[in-house]
Amino acid sequence: MAGKAKQQIDLIIEAVSKGNATLKITTKTKLLLKGLDPDRYTNSSEDDPVVLDKIKTVAASFGVTIK
Amino acid sequence: MDIQSVYSSKQSVNEAVIELKEKITINEPRLVVFFASSIYKPDEVAAEVKAAFSGADVLGCSTAGEIVSGKMLTNSIVAMAFDKEASGDVKIEVIENIKENSDPQKALESFENHFGKKLSEMDYKKYLGLALIDGCSFAEEALMEKLGTKTNVFFVGGSAGDDLKFEKTYIYVNGKAYANAAALALLKPGTKFDILKTQSFKALGKKLIATKVNEAAREIIEFNGKPAAEVYAEAVGKPVNEIESVFMSRPLGVMIGDEPYVRSPQQSDSKTIKFYCNVAEGTELTILHSEDIIKDTRDDISKKVRSFGRVSGLLNFNCILRTLELQNKNLTEEYGKVFESIPTVGFSTYGEEYIGHINQTSVIVLFQ
Repeated sequence: MAGKAKQQIDLIIEAVSKGNATLKITTKTKLLLKGLDPDRYTNSSEDDPVVLDKIKTVAASFGVTIK
Repeated sequence: MDIQSVYSSKQSVNEAVIELKEKITINEPRLVVFFASSIYKPDEVAAEVKAAFSGADVLGCSTAGEIVSGKMLTNSIVAMAFDKEASGDVKIEVIENIKENSDPQKALESFENHFGKKLSEMDYKKYLGLALIDGCSFAEEALMEKLGTKTNVFFVGGSAGDDLKFEKTYIYVNGKAYANAAALALLKPGTKFDILKTQSFKALGKKLIATKVNEAAREIIEFNGKPAAEVYAEAVGKPVNEIESVFMSRPLGVMIGDEPYVRSPQQSDSKTIKFYCNVAEGTELTILHSEDIIKDTRDDISKKVRSFGRVSGLLNFNCILRTLELQNKNLTEEYGKVFESIPTVGFSTYGEEYIGHINQTSVIVLFQ
């Protein structure tokens, strides 16, 4: 399977920024400083359980639920 | 609406505060922000500034150098007074024992109660957060990260200094001095404001991935799976035992497009590298090349002033490493002149707060 990391990161960014362009960049920066680079993951990035776990933890810290 | 910036270089706390009070002509300031050299006794300076402006909320910290309109100072106090219209509504909270627990939850709840609004619903264009944090606490990253997950309001500020002694720094809130603490202020200013982050670096394109780190110690152990110092040395073209000589001019940046969030190396044992802020494991970093601080700051300020119109007040949280570079190049007078025509106060910080904890940057708040 592939692309889950990008999907979930996009979901965090959308939920936090609510579509606002400035807040999208801010949220991307917050993720980057937590060691999660949104641009590193594409639709074809392999689903790495370690990465997906990290995304889940980061999402929870923002109050975003990932199924 | 009125904002005033003043300073005193008198060495006695009492005389310095009297001079500040004499220079401030705003009738009944609502908020006073001050930055004071570590030569002033913390309890005394906190108490006397509050006593002088008893009707105001008073917020400040110790420094590693002060900035006021037209000047970079040492061994001085600078203060900015806001009248009620300029400051708008203000609430200040102190988080104590931040080394042990940097959770801002109680402070955030207090802000929500005061403003009658959830932080998650506050408009970042209407609310402004200020953060002054103990610069010897190593707690800035954790606090800024937690703030960043709770709100889209920008909390900006700096880590308090102690004139390069790196022993003990202080936060001042309403008459009391605190160590091992952070002050958070939430403002709903009565005027428009904007934030400027400026640094003078160009990305060199050489990228390193922090593959093994000790975040708590702000240490990178490995880049690209090899000893960090060796990989950095190769990237900057220096022998490992000489890398410390280029740390200031070749820091690393986490890049958002062309915009670096600077992580400054501090020291190396020839294997690992310690930084002035932490780097999360897995982070890609780019080697940066230092450029002209005066030109870049002047250009960035001019651009902002042009788009913003009149600037009534400016708070400048300027990294001590930038100040040291300016001192080494004999440019502190030039830097002061960049802010000559704007009511300004600021200080040389042990780290800057903007989205996260960053280095070698100037984080600036402009009030219209």
